[in-house]
Formats: sequence, structure tokens, C-alpha cells
Amino acid sequence: MSIPDYMQCAEDHQTVLVVVQPVGIVPEDEFFRIYKRITSVAQVSIRDSQRNLYIRYRHHYLPENNEWGDFQTHRKVVGLISVTTCRSAKEWPQTSDRFHCQKDVFGATLYDSRLLVFGLQGEIAEQQRTDVAFYPSYDVCPDVEKRVEDFVESIFIVLETKRLDRATDKSGDKIPLLCVPFEKKDFVGLDTDSRHYKKRCQGRMRKHVGDLCLQAGMLQDALVHYHMAVELLRSVNDFLWLGAALEGLCSASVIFHYPGGTAGKASGREPSLAHGALTANGISADTSSEIGRAKNCLGPEDIIEKYKEAISYYGKYKNAGVIELEACVKAVRVLAIQKRAMEASEFLQNAVYINLGQLSEEEKIQRYSILSELYHLIGFHRKSAFFKRVAAMQCVAPTIPEPGWRACYKLLLETLSGYSLCLDPKDFSKGSHRGWAAVQVRLLHELVYASRRMGNPGLSVRHLSFLLQTMLDLLSDKEKKEVTQSLENYTSKCPGGMEVLTLPDGLKLPPVPLSKLPIVRSVKLLDLPVSLRPHKQKGLLENNMSSKSPFIYSPIIMHTRGEERTKKIEFRWVQGDVCEVQLMVYNPMPFELRVEHMGLLTSGVEFEALPAALSLPAESGLYPVTLVGVPRTAGNINVNGYHTSVFGVTSDCLLDGLPSVRTSGCVVEVIPSLPRLQLSTSLPRSAHPLRPSKEELSSSVSVQLFNGETQQLIITLENIGSEDLETLEVTSKACNTKEKLFGEFLSWDLEEAVSQLPLKPGQSVTLTVNVKVRLDFSGGENLLQDLNDDGISVTGLPISSPLRQVLKPRAETKPLGSDPGTKCHTLEAVMTFKYSGGAGKVEGYYRDLSLGVHVDVEPSVFFTKVSTLPATRTRQCHLLLDVFNSTEHELMVSANNNQDLVLHPSECQRMAIQVAKFDFHTLPQPDQEAVRYTNPKLLEEERLHTQASMISSTLGITWNIISFDGEASVEGVLNQLVLEHLQLAPLQWDVVVNGKPCDCDIIADCKVGDAVPLEVKLTNRSMNAVGPFALTVVPFQDYQNGVQNYDLQDAVTFIGSNTFYIDMVKPTENSVCMGALLFLYTGDFYLNIKFQDDSAGQGKELPPSWFGLPSVHIKALEAPIEAGA
Amino acid sequence: MAVCIAVIAKENYPLYIRSVPVQNELKFHYTVHTSLDVVEEKISAVGKAMADQRELYLGLLYPTEDYKVYPSHMIIVYYTPVCIFFLLIENILLYRHTRYGYVTNSKVKFVIVVDSSNTSLRDNEIRSMFRKLHNSFTDVMCNPFYNPGDTIQSKAFDSMVSAMMVQAS
Repeated sequence: MSIPDYMQCAEDHQTVLVVVQPVGIVPEDEFFRIYKRITSVAQVSIRDSQRNLYIRYRHHYLPENNEWGDFQTHRKVVGLISVTTCRSAKEWPQTSDRFHCQKDVFGATLYDSRLLVFGLQGEIAEQQRTDVAFYPSYDVCPDVEKRVEDFVESIFIVLETKRLDRATDKSGDKIPLLCVPFEKKDFVGLDTDSRHYKKRCQGRMRKHVGDLCLQAGMLQDALVHYHMAVELLRSVNDFLWLGAALEGLCSASVIFHYPGGTAGKASGREPSLAHGALTANGISADTSSEIGRAKNCLGPEDIIEKYKEAISYYGKYKNAGVIELEACVKAVRVLAIQKRAMEASEFLQNAVYINLGQLSEEEKIQRYSILSELYHLIGFHRKSAFFKRVAAMQCVAPTIPEPGWRACYKLLLETLSGYSLCLDPKDFSKGSHRGWAAVQVRLLHELVYASRRMGNPGLSVRHLSFLLQTMLDLLSDKEKKEVTQSLENYTSKCPGGMEVLTLPDGLKLPPVPLSKLPIVRSVKLLDLPVSLRPHKQKGLLENNMSSKSPFIYSPIIMHTRGEERTKKIEFRWVQGDVCEVQLMVYNPMPFELRVEHMGLLTSGVEFEALPAALSLPAESGLYPVTLVGVPRTAGNINVNGYHTSVFGVTSDCLLDGLPSVRTSGCVVEVIPSLPRLQLSTSLPRSAHPLRPSKEELSSSVSVQLFNGETQQLIITLENIGSEDLETLEVTSKACNTKEKLFGEFLSWDLEEAVSQLPLKPGQSVTLTVNVKVRLDFSGGENLLQDLNDDGISVTGLPISSPLRQVLKPRAETKPLGSDPGTKCHTLEAVMTFKYSGGAGKVEGYYRDLSLGVHVDVEPSVFFTKVSTLPATRTRQCHLLLDVFNSTEHELMVSANNNQDLVLHPSECQRMAIQVAKFDFHTLPQPDQEAVRYTNPKLLEEERLHTQASMISSTLGITWNIISFDGEASVEGVLNQLVLEHLQLAPLQWDVVVNGKPCDCDIIADCKVGDAVPLEVKLTNRSMNAVGPFALTVVPFQDYQNGVQNYDLQDAVTFIGSNTFYIDMVKPTENSVCMGALLFLYTGDFYLNIKFQDDSAGQGKELPPSWFGLPSVHIKALEAPIEAGA
Repeated sequence: MAVCIAVIAKENYPLYIRSVPVQNELKFHYTVHTSLDVVEEKISAVGKAMADQRELYLGLLYPTEDYKVYPSHMIIVYYTPVCIFFLLIENILLYRHTRYGYVTNSKVKFVIVVDSSNTSLRDNEIRSMFRKLHNSFTDVMCNPFYNPGDTIQSKAFDSMVSAMMVQAS
């Protein structure tokens, strides 16, 4: 007896062993179908005795083991059922012979036998034989169970007979000595008559009867017999049999205490029995009826004690190893039910050391796996895993010619739970790894290798990826290298993917995304570049805001925890445009990591990910990686994760499973496609960004200009998108308002460009922009001082002086450093091109393209001071400008109606320009609406500005340096005082002499003796009514030497009064006074028209400058006729 | 002579494990790992029976002969290009080691594996070793920079353990 039955349990002692075997050729599946039906008859209640007979079926049993049948009767084969196929009557004799041969194998012990013949029909099958049953086919055999029951009953009858036989054999003459196979030779020549020998015979027989009673269902009798056997055998020190008797006692007690059985689910006990009375401490609750019967029964504690004893006796015999081992296993099962793990482990410990001699490899495997199972049964999962692993290793031991890698792999998988390892990487994402790393790593290595050897590289790849993913922190640098190398080796044969691998036994291996190669720290969705960002039309934006809350501001922030990832991001992406997501990654490996096909995983919108390949240096720090893709449809896009391919393993890493990844939201709205413009300019690109770089610019240009210069900037806009450009708007905004700028800085005409719309993809449109810089380089206040010390009176009375140029070189006198004009100024403005088109336009989106214009303005000429001199005519005056050339070049200044002035570098010259006074009333008045809402101060500035620009344009002062030219503006230097002088008085006086309008520098001719009509016309342009006035005309002669002769009564006489009275003149009305003069002599006369304000009643003095009446110069000539006379 | 000293967290993962024959460290991982079954069993038994008694010493975990069965080492050389897989199972090895267990009130377990050929070692000595270990562990826990649950990397603890191994041997 060498092969232990590890499945044995205590209650097997009460069963009878029946072997079911095929005879001849029987298809395996058919046999097992029949076998299954036969085994369903595991318990038969005997009709007249209320006893149960339990049957244990085996389809394979070693005759060698049968020899131990006397020792423990449940090891004895008492029944044989043969299954055979017989096609025709001819085969029948042969089949019958075979059956008899088979009977002979177990012949000595068989009580009865049956042959089940399938396929035979006809004459022979008609026979009614008790030991043979005929069935037409394997499918038509309805009464197999019935037959088996009958068979069992017949076995029972034999068993019962034997039992009664032996039991009543007490007084018998000679009791035969029962012995086990290895004992036989020991008893040769022993004195059979000795008392000792007799006792031994008696004891052994008692034990045997006990066994039979137990099998026959007479538990109490069995107990009694066992007790007696123990007594007898103990006295003769027959240890082997004593052990058997004790074990029998234990078995009977166990059967009594645990009617549910001890084998657990493994054995096919009837479920009705499993519900037996079993309380927590293992004793049947129904004590009342069993008190008497329980007398001989062992208590739960005793059972273990007796088992220990029995095992120790077995241990004395080397040949009884199997019996000892099986006893251990049975005891462990009992202890497992009693939940006494510690003691059970001791029994198992013992079982481990039972030496069964040279075991075959297969037996070793069986032994280790049963040990593992038993450890599992008592809750020692680690021990169980340990032995399972040993069994697995045994499967592939080098001594085995054909290693069972498949079995090894299967067993290894079963150990996973013992090492608290789960092959789902999700369990590891929760935090740092905690467990028996060294042991787990080892196990994974073994799994990898076993799966490779069993020819499934896919599994190896999956396990290796798992190893890398979960144990990365625990691997040394060398190991990391090795593991990745072998991973690469494997993936070259079988690339790793994301599908779930299902093993033949149904275990599913979830995919392992390598989210640690590289480790991603944060995911950030990037906005489109400034020039491509879509904006929503203002009017359409409102309904977006309103839904949230009626309050503009609320201190209560609606916290939605855990929804960070689903939070929608403010900005938008555009369909068809490349969008970017930035990942911060790092490489934890000690070598360079190549990541291929790194792309985005998205949902919600059709998305074309453009995978990237990257190479991360060894143990890199955080490394930004930008993944790009193109949304193909509009809607809300959700960035779920990313896709990588590392070492040939492709993985989809979902952000949901990576709590360590920081993200500020992953949902972005994708709007329908918009056109895209590319901008190019004729000017060079600017190297430096604009100073107040609050807003990002798509591009910027810079140019250097002299003050007053105008440059043309040609902007080419090309539609590089796929949509038609339908609308285009251009605006500009100066971003540097510190400098006072005159005139339009940037001006353009959009008409032509707009006329070319819609712009098809690939087409372009040009726009010409004039860049004009006019800055005030003069520093204000010290100029005014200069003006005063010049000694020129600027107050109103007419000084008739010829036009003069005052040449005053004064550059030497001024230190250059303090010169306010030498500083270089910069001007900056942003041009914004707002455009839209395509589907995006329908939704109300547009795009901005902004161009920064940066101009460095160098001073050219500027006016250090300005003053006015009244001109000879009342409607004109002289403007005196000190022009300073701050450039390093010689330049020429010219103005309208004036000669050119050449200025050397750093030279200052005065320039006088005669200008007609300006009538500012003709300027357009600001809109009434605007007036109401604007600050009066602003309004005033506005007015001044328009006046100044009018003056400037009238003057038209330009400068010219070789090839450049530009204009110089006086706007900055004009102050209120000067302006006043340049302004036409609201009261306009016209003097007409002899029908000719007359002014200071016009000499009116008249003839002596003729009456010269004099007409003075007053036009009131002021707001109020003026007058009445009195005007007195005083003639005088100027001798040009400072002497004026007013005593001209003789020379000039008035026809009528020399005083005119002008009544009240209402606004916009005029009044004319007529008079006449008569010159008596020839000569140059001047008429000084003095006036008196009679409107004293109104109490308001009108400024004297309002009465700028021209002095009239009349040359009285000889009348030709009179001269002739 | 202690050959291996291990500290195991409440959740049964190792906080610290150190063994003297460094070349076969994995073996001791298995040793200590499997002893946890008994430790747990003992703790649960203690919890039921004598909750009040503050006996931390668990005593002998596995008897001397336990180490008979040991699958030796699978030597894995499968990273080499030829991919040779050496797998050796030395049938039954007789490792004569004895394991003792100790559990703190916070369910942190100490396991000491002792070479059982050293018969001079008495129960009292083992107890004092555990006491020393416990004191040192308490010091580690008192370190404000130590996170309970992390592996122990204290130099003081380390030197104490090595002293214990050397002194006992």
C-alpha cells in the first residue's frame, strides 16, 4: 500500500467500497455518464432495518490497496460493477469472459458483482440474469439506479451475514488472525496457542467486527466492539491494530457527532444529511434520545486525543505510512470542523514529515497540493499558498521529462490569494504598495516564466506589465532594466494590448495600463493660441451667464467635490483646429524611456489624436509633453486619458484610475469650425513684445520713424483655414496713452479689402495702413518763458510791421542734455482683425487676430516756442515759430505759402508764417447728444484739439531730410493765448472805401475832390447781441518817422458826420453805416476808426481784440481832369 | 542565535525584515510570511481567552523540525539571451530554525527566527530579545518624522537589530 488517498475522511469508514470499471472498449464520456448515474446512489436505506448503507465508488483502485481490506474494511472492494459495450451476440461470450477476469482481480474480497451491457439486443438480452443487465444503448437505460440499488441491497445482505457470523463467533474454537500484508511473514512460526496470541486474535477480530458494524450502519455496536478491541489490543501491545481500533473509535464518534460529514463540499454527501443537527461546539443538539447511545461515544476533545494516539502508534511502523498519513488528514478535517486551527496545523506538520519512501513526482505534487488544500481548510492561507507553490514547482522539476508548465501556471495562479496579490492593477492604484514585496515579485517572475514556457507569451507580457506597474518602486535599478528588457523580448513576439485575457479556467486577467511609464503628474488642457481663440459675439453671451445665479457676486461658492475632472473649462476649442493638452511627465526608470504613439483618449466628440513619440532621459524631472489632436465634430469633448506604447505594450491610461494626476478639468466645448487667417506685413517683425503685454499678440511689427513721418504698412491676410472668410472688421487701439499724440496714428481703408469677401481658403487680401506719428516733443513751460523775454508783445493792438524773420542762433546757448526734444519716444498700438465665417459664424463665434505696431519715434523738428504777431491785415496774423532741428542731419522746413528754411543739426531758427485768422465757428459743432454725456473738460479739450489740428493742417509745415520727409505739427505748442490771437474776432468789421474792401495793407486810391464813400459793416458772429456802438473816423497822416499828424481839417473833410452810430446788432445779423469823405489834397492818408462802446448798460466789457478794425490807407491822387485844368 | 528578525505591521505586511545570511533573504521572507498564519491564529485565540492578560509574548510559533520542507531556490536566469531557466528543488531540506512570535498591543508583530542548533538559548533570553526589540520599536514610533505604516529605516533600530544578531550568535 503505497498510494495514500488524500481525500479520505472519517466517515469513509462507514462506507462500502464498490469499483466501477469499463470492460472492453467503452467510450470514456459514455462511461463517465453511466458512472455518474451509478454514483448518485451513494446511500441506500435498507427496507426492513431502518439502517443506511453508504457506498463509496471508485473507478480505479489498486488491488494492492485491497490487501489492506482486513485491516480496515472500508478499504476492501466488496462490489464490482462493470460497464461494457456489446454490439452483437457473437461478442457476448468474449465480453462475459472479460468480466469474469476482472472479477478475479478483486475476487477474494468481492461480495457481489454486476455487469451492465450496452448495445446488445435480441435473444441474449432477453435472459433474466441477476448479475447482468442489458440495455439497448447508453441513452436508453432508465433503471440503472434501480439496478444499483438492488445490487447494494444484495451487498448489504452479504455484509450483514458476515457481521453476524463474526459477531456470534465468540465461543468459536479458533479465531483466525487477521493481519496486514507486511505482517504476514512476522507471524510465521509463532506459537498460535499462547494466550497472548489468542488475545491478539480476539482483539483484531473485535476490531474487524467493529468495522463491519459500522459499515452495516450499527454505530452503537461498532463503538462497543471498538472499545473492547482497544482493551484487548492494548494489553498485548499490538500497536498497529490498536491504532486502527482507536481510529475506528474516532471515526464512529465523528460520524455520530458530525452527521454532516467532515469532508466539506468535496465529497458528494447527500444534502439532506448536511443539514444535520450540528451546533457550534459540534455536539448534536438532539441529546435526549441519544444520551444512552452516547455512552460509548468519544467527546470532541477525546476524538483528537485518540487520533493523536492512533497516529503515534501508526508511526511506529514504517510500512503503515499511508495509514498514518490518511489518519492525519482525517483528523485535520475533523479539527477544521471544530475550528481548532492550531492543533490541526500540528497534525499537518506531522503529515508533512511522514516518509512514504520514494514518491513519484506526480505523487509529490498531489501531496503538496493536498497539504495546501488542508491548510486552506483550517484558514492558514499563507501556508496553503506556500505548499501550492511548492506543488507548482514540483510540476516543473528538472527530473520530470515533460514539465507540466500549464499545471504549474495554474497552481501558481491559485497561490495569488495567499500572497494577497490580485492581478487587477486597480487595486494598487490606491496608494503605495504594501505587502510582501519580495515574495510577490518572486511569484510574478515565476508566473511570467511559467506562462512563457507554456507557450503563451501574451500572458507573460500581461504579468510582466503587471510586475512593472505595481512593483516598480520595489525593483532595484538592475531589476528594472532586466524586467524591461525581457518585456521587450516578449512583446516582439506578442505585443501587449488592452484586452482582457481569459484563461481556460475562466479567470480573467484585466488589462494593465502602464501608467507609471512614464508617470504623469498633471494634465492640463491648453487654450488655442491667441490668434485662433474663438470669441462669442457679445449679444449672444448673456444667456450663458444668467442661469447660474441671480447675483453678480455671492460669497457662497458652490463646492462640487470630486467633480474637478468633469468641470468644464472656460475656453473653447474649434472643430478642425489642432488643440493641445499638456502633460507633465517623468521617467522613473534609470535609463532612457521611449514612449511611442502617445495620444489622447477622448469621448463626446469625434477626435483625431495625433500621436507623439517621445524619449525621456533617465530619471528625468518633470518634463512637459504636449499631446495634440484635431476635433472633427462640434460638441463637448471629454479628455478621459491618454494612450501610450512603451516597450511594445500599448496601454490606455484613464484619468479616473489615476488619482495622483492633477487636472483642472477635462471637459471642453468644441465649437463649429471657423476660418483661419495668417497675417504677414511689409515691415519687419518686432523682436521685443509690446510693453504692456497684458494681452498676447499674434504678431507685432516695429518701425523707427522720425516725428511727423508717415509710413505705409501693407498687411496681407491669407485664409489658411478650410472655411470661407465672410466678415472682417479692423479696429485699432493705442496702448500707450502717456504720450500726447496728434492726429490719427493708424489709418486705413477697409473698403477694398471687404469688397473681396468672402475669401476662399488659400486666397489672400491686402490692407494698407498708414502709420503717421505726430508727437509733441517740446517741453511746455520753459518755452513760454522764452517767449516772454523775447520782448514781443502779443497783446492785441495792431502793429503794422513787415514780415520778418528773426534769425537767432541759439543752439549754443542751450545745453543739449537738458533738451527735452532729444529723447526718443515709442508709440504702440494694437490692430485687431475680427473675422468670422463658416459654421462657427452661424453659432455666433468670431476670431481675433491682433497685430502689435511698435514705433520708435525719433524727434525731427520741433518748435521750442510759438508766438503771434498781428499782421498788417486784421484778418491775418503772423505766427512766429522757433524751429529746432534735433536730428543729426541737415533738414529743410517748409510751410504753405512760405519759403523753405534750411536748418543745420541742432540749430534753432525762428520762422514766421503769415496766416489768415481762423474762424473756428465753421468747425463742426459736437453732437448735442454727446455733449450731454461727456465731461465738459473733455469737451473743451476736444474743441482745442480740433482747432489745433485745423491750424496745423492750414500751416502745412513739412520737413525734409534728404529722402525722408514728414510734417511738423504745431498742435502741441499752441496755447490758449496764441489760439486767441489766431482766432477771428466774433465781430467782423468790413471797411469798404470807394466800393473796394479795404484793409491795412491795401491802399485805396481816390481822386482829390471826389467824394469817397466809406462803408463800415459790422457782422455779429458772437452769441450775443452787441452794441450800440459809436464809431469815429479820424484821419491822420503818418510821416514814417514816428510823427503822426492828426491835424487834417484842411485836407480832409467829411460829408456828413464822421461819427457813426450802430444800433444793437443781433447775432448773425449785420449793420452797415455809410459815410463819405472828401480829400482836398493829394497825399497818403490813414483813417483811424475809433469806437466807443455805448452799451455800458449791459455792464459787460467786450474784449478789445473784438474791435480789430482795420486802419484804412487811402492815397488821394490828382484828379486827371483837374490836373489838366 | 537569531538569524532573522522581522517587524510586521498590523495589516500583516513587513515593516522591517533583516536576516543574517543575506544571500538567501527570500527564504526568510517565506519563513516569516508563513508564520503569520500561526501568529494570527494565536492572537485571535488570545483575544478570546485572555483579553485582559497583557502577555505579548506568543512563544514558539513552529517547532524545530518545521523547516524540513523547503523548496529551495528557483534560480531565475531568464533574462539572459538564451533564456535558461534553472529550477532546483532540493527535495527536502532540513533547515533547523525555530520561529518565535511577539505581538504589541497595537497588533504589530515581531518574529524572530532562531537557529535551533543553538540549544543554549532559553525562553527567557528570547523574551528579553523581544523586549529590547519592542523598546527600540517604540523609539522608532516616537520619531516625529516617522509615518506609522512606512518601512522602518532607522539607523538606531538597525544597529540594535544587528547587535542582537551578533550578540546572540
